[in-house]
Amino acid sequence: MKLNILEKVKNVAKSISEFDVNKLKEADYKKLAKDFVYGKPHGERRLGDLYLPKTGLYKHREWRGLKDTFYYFNMIWLYNYAHMVTDIMKYGGLPAFVRGLWRYRWMGQTYLPVMHWFDRGLEGLRGEALRASAWHYRAMTSETIRQFMRMFAADVSNGGSKELHDHTLAHDETVWGGIFYPWRNNFDDVPLQMIPYFVTCHVNNHTVLHYIDAVQSIGLPGDPCPMCQAEAGIFVDDDMPDYYPAFVTSNEACDGSVATSVLQDWMINKPLFAMPQPMQFDDPLVLEHCEREIEECWKFIEEQTGQPFNFELLKEYLEKQNKLQEFEWEKWDVAANTNYYPINGVAQALYRIYQSQDGYRDIWAETDKKVRKILNKVVEKKIDSFPLTRHRVIAWSCAPLYYSNWCTWAYNCWGLNCIINRDSLMFDMTIRTDTYENCLHDMAVYHEWAPMRRMAVGGMHHIFELWDYMERFHCDMVMMYDQLQCKGMQGVHGLFEDEFRARNIHAIWMPHALPDKRVVSRAEIRQIVNDYMTTVMHEEPLDPSLLDFDDGESW
Amino acid sequence: MRDLKHLIEFEDLLQQANNDLVKQARSEGKRALGYTCSFMPEVLLDLPGCFGVRLRAPGCVSPDMATYYMSGRTCHYGRSLMERALEGGFNFLDAQMATETCTVTCRFQEHLQRMDVIQNPDFFCEFCDVPFKKTENSLLHYKTQLQAHVLDKLKEKFGIDTSDEALIKAIEEHNEVCRLITEIGSYRKLDNPTITGYEFHVINLVTMVCPKYLILPALRETAEEMKTRKADPKPNWRIKVVLAGAENDMPEFTNLIESCGALVVADRHCYGSLPGREEIVIKEGETPLAAIARHYIEYSCCPRFMPQDVMRGRKQYIADLCKEYKADGLIVESNKFCEYWSYERTIDAVVLPRDFGIPTCSIEKEYVNSASGQLRTRFQAFVESVEIKKLQEGEGA
Amino acid sequence: MKKFFKKLIKLGLLVYGVLFTVFYFDLDGKLLFYVVEPFLVKHYDSVKRKDPLKAVYGMDKPNYEYDVK
Repeated sequence: MKLNILEKVKNVAKSISEFDVNKLKEADYKKLAKDFVYGKPHGERRLGDLYLPKTGLYKHREWRGLKDTFYYFNMIWLYNYAHMVTDIMKYGGLPAFVRGLWRYRWMGQTYLPVMHWFDRGLEGLRGEALRASAWHYRAMTSETIRQFMRMFAADVSNGGSKELHDHTLAHDETVWGGIFYPWRNNFDDVPLQMIPYFVTCHVNNHTVLHYIDAVQSIGLPGDPCPMCQAEAGIFVDDDMPDYYPAFVTSNEACDGSVATSVLQDWMINKPLFAMPQPMQFDDPLVLEHCEREIEECWKFIEEQTGQPFNFELLKEYLEKQNKLQEFEWEKWDVAANTNYYPINGVAQALYRIYQSQDGYRDIWAETDKKVRKILNKVVEKKIDSFPLTRHRVIAWSCAPLYYSNWCTWAYNCWGLNCIINRDSLMFDMTIRTDTYENCLHDMAVYHEWAPMRRMAVGGMHHIFELWDYMERFHCDMVMMYDQLQCKGMQGVHGLFEDEFRARNIHAIWMPHALPDKRVVSRAEIRQIVNDYMTTVMHEEPLDPSLLDFDDGESW
Repeated sequence: MRDLKHLIEFEDLLQQANNDLVKQARSEGKRALGYTCSFMPEVLLDLPGCFGVRLRAPGCVSPDMATYYMSGRTCHYGRSLMERALEGGFNFLDAQMATETCTVTCRFQEHLQRMDVIQNPDFFCEFCDVPFKKTENSLLHYKTQLQAHVLDKLKEKFGIDTSDEALIKAIEEHNEVCRLITEIGSYRKLDNPTITGYEFHVINLVTMVCPKYLILPALRETAEEMKTRKADPKPNWRIKVVLAGAENDMPEFTNLIESCGALVVADRHCYGSLPGREEIVIKEGETPLAAIARHYIEYSCCPRFMPQDVMRGRKQYIADLCKEYKADGLIVESNKFCEYWSYERTIDAVVLPRDFGIPTCSIEKEYVNSASGQLRTRFQAFVESVEIKKLQEGEGA
Repeated sequence: MKKFFKKLIKLGLLVYGVLFTVFYFDLDGKLLFYVVEPFLVKHYDSVKRKDPLKAVYGMDKPNYEYDVK
């Protein structure tokens, strides 16, 4: 420690002695002032120089010019910290929060550094893109707090309320929250893994490794999907609040998911309803089966809650959800046909998958209202939100963009602008509410189009819808996720290689193991992109400081 | 024990998918229908005019071409089938009756659909959706799928008679095979069994990969032979085990276990007879197709079934088999990259010894067992541990 | 009263300035990374948990099937 301080003092003394006064004289003050007021232009930013080695922490946060820096400070950093407090008070109060924080690893280790999640995702953004993307992050943070506060407030194993416990239903995160709309007036539905697993990985990817190790410690091999492993590991590690009397699960999306349910059922040991989706969902013959499964699930919920199914309530929520979908289409339209789309790839993807899977919540509607204003503004004023876009990229297959943090980096470093991703395109429909039959029909289809089912393991021809979407969104490059432990996508690897070659498409294969950075690190992912961009595309980086840096211990 | 008369013949039939009996049936004008999973009812594929062949890829140690298409991180079984298909080993197939029941075999079959792999102008590949539950809704769904994607297709493409009468005839033939296999398998319940696990594995496999009507004579003879077969007075096994787990169509694997001193007395795995060789019963008022659908849903113990009672019932089923077949222990295996059985095996390895007192050896294997040395060590250690346990129990008694 | 408001504004500006410093130099991140997370991890490692291998696996579960025809 002493040596360190001495060395630092020596270094400072050395730099003072080497300081060249001429440099001060020669400095371009006009340029400095301009950079101070407006921020450095893309290409001169050297964002990589801001990182402290290994940690991903900043020497100092990015100076984005006066307006955007203070927007970030006031409306993102301060605003979100303040709202985290108010959200906690609103959704259950400080005692429940502290109990949860003290008991559950995923809570304390993960959610406290949430502002760094914002930092990583919003790095380099300016103007309307910064604002619109940040609102997406804000909504996800708020909904996350609402969910974990409900878990803690109803957690009977940790001082929570029995009454709330009996009024909360749990479901696998791949079961669409809309199934529970008919009970939303008196009951809440909280997915089991959305908060302890899915969101935690984005915020702090240290936590999830613990759960993967936990499930392997009881004998599970290391090759099943790491997402499923982690989701099972949370239960094996006894790190799940006891907030529900019964739960609903599904086979979405794959063998690993079904198998995980078996292990979870053992650990949970409560009434379980399995609501599987048909695998061959294009077959019109499967629809009736799917509809009946949903209806049986409703009967199960009625039995567990003692409250009858309420079609009027279902309609009310579905109509609100349809509004969210209609706005999503507007967003896609702007993204596909203009350069003005102000939402970066990671905000688009995460918000969309979170919202569509979770079902309607007020926060989504409030956020969409704010984003709509921004969207209207950029379109009216023709503001190019990502002006240094060199390639319009579509991201395809099982997505790690949240964990790997490649998306924001790729734009800053190489001008690769991720316009849309596969997960966003899943629930591409509204649901009719005119009659019970139409409603049930559409809900079954919606349920069948769950994430990954439609474009990872639900029939090979859907996977190849990529080409149509490339055209629709005017993309010239594919970021092809190569989830090393997804059997469905690994099983179609060669055909994609053939198609890319035959169609002369630039595709970067990005190996990853979802949240398990020990298998493929962020640095390895960046290196693969760097190699492709230099050796195949023969391009120069926009920000060379981002080419190679060590963030191995970062969140 | 005296060698079984037809064993070498049976072993020969397992050397390649397009074996002599398959060739004979095709030369007689019958259509060869491939399938991979027990959820494709073989009885439907054995209607007059066609026959089912459950696909295997014996001897495939290095599936290089398939690894290009399906990467090295998928189940070796699925890749080996793909390799064999790319090599031309399945060109005799007139159709592949596919099920999307586990991911990698599904992908293999989708490749057959998408690529021009099978060099047979008549070839087509048709998928069935298979339910995850054993409810009335599931039965109805399964029945509808089998009608539309198996019977209607066979009729439309090959003019196969799919009437109730034809189905009843197929069920009768199928039931005879099941009866014979069950009878032969029942000798494994004896204190000193008169059939080895390896022999039974071979016999059961040939009934899956050969046209039933051509294998039946040898099967009948074998059943007769078994009635008088005597066990060696001094058994050459040290313990008896149930073998449970994933896809396992390599009798050599059973042989490996038995060479370590553990006689395999029950086969509860994807290509096993428990469950799988129970007779189909048509209940009063039931159509043959409904009976078939009900039978396959009711009897299957596949780990893809999701209802809570069924998930747990699978453990009870293994425990009951151990009791019925007087097994001293359980070997539960999963193939590398098989997700269903990775989880199922993990739970079995905890629950069966703990709650049922069944010593359990849990192993992961490849389709073709290149790591037999390591497996041998594991099995030998397991045999010894069970023997020590038995000795200790004997002393305590 | 005026004095009080002046003081309040001064205090407000001071707090704002301090918070901006925390924000700009990522002091919140550093605190969480170097102090809070290691402390919490140590704590979570010491939390008593149920042994998963002792979790009951009952065989008496009902069949949740409903008539919806």
